[in-house]
Amino acid sequence: MTRTIRQYAWFFAFVAPALLVFLIFIVIPMLGGMSYSFTNWNGLAKSYKFVGFVNYIEAFKDKEFIRSLMFSFKYVFLMVVLQNGIALLLALLIESRKRAKGLFRTIFFMPNLISMIIGAFMWTFIFTKLLPELAEQAAFSFLDQAWTSDPKVSFYSILIVSLWQGVGYMMIIYIAGLQGVPQDIKEAARIDGANGWQMLRSVTLPMIMHTVTICLFLTLNSAFNSFDVIFGLTGGGPARKTEVVSLNIFQEAFNYNYRFGYANAKAMILFLIILVITIVQVRVMKRREIEA
Amino acid sequence: MSSKGNIAFRAVSVVILAVMAVFFALPIYMAVINSFKTQKEIFSSVLAWPSSFGFDNYINVFHSIDLLKSLGNSLTVTIIGVVGMLLLGAMAGYKLSRTPGKLSGFIFFLFLSSMMIPFHVIMITLSQVAKSLHLQGSTTGLGIMYVGLSLNMVIFLYHGFVKGIPKEMEEAARMDGAGELYTFFRIILPLLKPITVTLAILNVLYIWNDFLLPLLMLTDVNKYTLILTTNSFFGQYTKDWGSILSSLVMTAVPVFAFFIAFQKWILQGIADGALKG
Repeated sequence: MTRTIRQYAWFFAFVAPALLVFLIFIVIPMLGGMSYSFTNWNGLAKSYKFVGFVNYIEAFKDKEFIRSLMFSFKYVFLMVVLQNGIALLLALLIESRKRAKGLFRTIFFMPNLISMIIGAFMWTFIFTKLLPELAEQAAFSFLDQAWTSDPKVSFYSILIVSLWQGVGYMMIIYIAGLQGVPQDIKEAARIDGANGWQMLRSVTLPMIMHTVTICLFLTLNSAFNSFDVIFGLTGGGPARKTEVVSLNIFQEAFNYNYRFGYANAKAMILFLIILVITIVQVRVMKRREIEA
Repeated sequence: MSSKGNIAFRAVSVVILAVMAVFFALPIYMAVINSFKTQKEIFSSVLAWPSSFGFDNYINVFHSIDLLKSLGNSLTVTIIGVVGMLLLGAMAGYKLSRTPGKLSGFIFFLFLSSMMIPFHVIMITLSQVAKSLHLQGSTTGLGIMYVGLSLNMVIFLYHGFVKGIPKEMEEAARMDGAGELYTFFRIILPLLKPITVTLAILNVLYIWNDFLLPLLMLTDVNKYTLILTTNSFFGQYTKDWGSILSSLVMTAVPVFAFFIAFQKWILQGIADGALKG
């Protein structure tokens, strides 16, 4: 009896500190956010009223919010495809080399070390100073664009900077995945007369499918959480036209209106979207593990 | 394999790598060379080589903002955050992994499922919680918040790692009369070193470079982290690119130094963090 009590005591001594900070900084904010999303709280007033689903209904009629959701979806889709495509390509090309592997790897990874916001400022210089200067040359006149002030163009500017920052990280994971492909399998395929393309399609890619799945979900989550790049590059402007959903929530709560209740409703909608994605993700991962 | 095709492939691959290398290095290269130019030089050409490598812009930045203080603030936040999450995370991850039963399983499940809550979903109420606990505006408070926000991932990875450690070691220690604390700190903790290094590196980079949480939590310029100081400097000196770029370069230097020192572990840590666990 005393033995079990002592075990319980030690269990809590080890787990309670972690549990406490976790409850304070994640569980309470999550539950609090959920409850506030049903109120008209403005963040300052002591009193607020329960308003039911009014905030949620308003969010779905809010043109700027819907636009930011669409912007996020478009951005996330292109990021997942391009970030993985380019990272895998670079990983394959680097791994096929004998020399200068480390050099290329370092160059492609470097931007990832720099804070996103610092990277966005460096690119602001490129977009507003270097590219206009290059565009003066006839051959580069196509570079004459309003890179950060025309919402149509700045979508691509945001994409370029995000890729510049994020590709290196995925490339490192892909390189590790490629190095995990057993040499003897590749050797066997080569003896059987497989050419480079056949090797890639029938040996390498199937062997790194696990890595590809992980990277797809990592990029999916990181793209949905993008904030700094857009904040630093366009600030969501002009006229809130380049806001992603996280920036829209941020502005709603801290800059424009301080409508905490309403902003929390938007945050919960974002959470539900991520929840659905995560459930799909876990399902797919489980299925893959059974196959493997 | 035909050697012709091989040569063509190698040529194409070198060209692609070279073009991509230019694209990746360009913004950093541009920031560095233009940080040495005068306003006039930048205005006439950003591509040109600087006429001299004077440090006027750098000195100007040093006079305008207190970079050393910001550096100290960043260090405080990062050290409190990383040490805190590793210590609490290792203790909880170890005990949860070694304790069978419903309660232990439920607590672990709670940590695990919280990993799908994105930061932006909780940031509004989180800032209210911080305010009511008087953590807002303090670098120590910010460090503690990073502990709370990252513990789920840290516990998840420690939990998995502990499973791979044979129980015999602890049982032998217990036979010899070692207590719980001795067993954990002297026997278990040293065995956790590989995963500890991975987690430390990933979280140092994450906290050091994070922007949004400090933006929400710190209002006093004297408490700003390096990233926040650079951000407000950018906002104030929008036209003075020479000074802005030198502030960006100085902000990037500590991370590059960190990378050069721990390159092998950083690259290994990223791969392990994703592919294991």
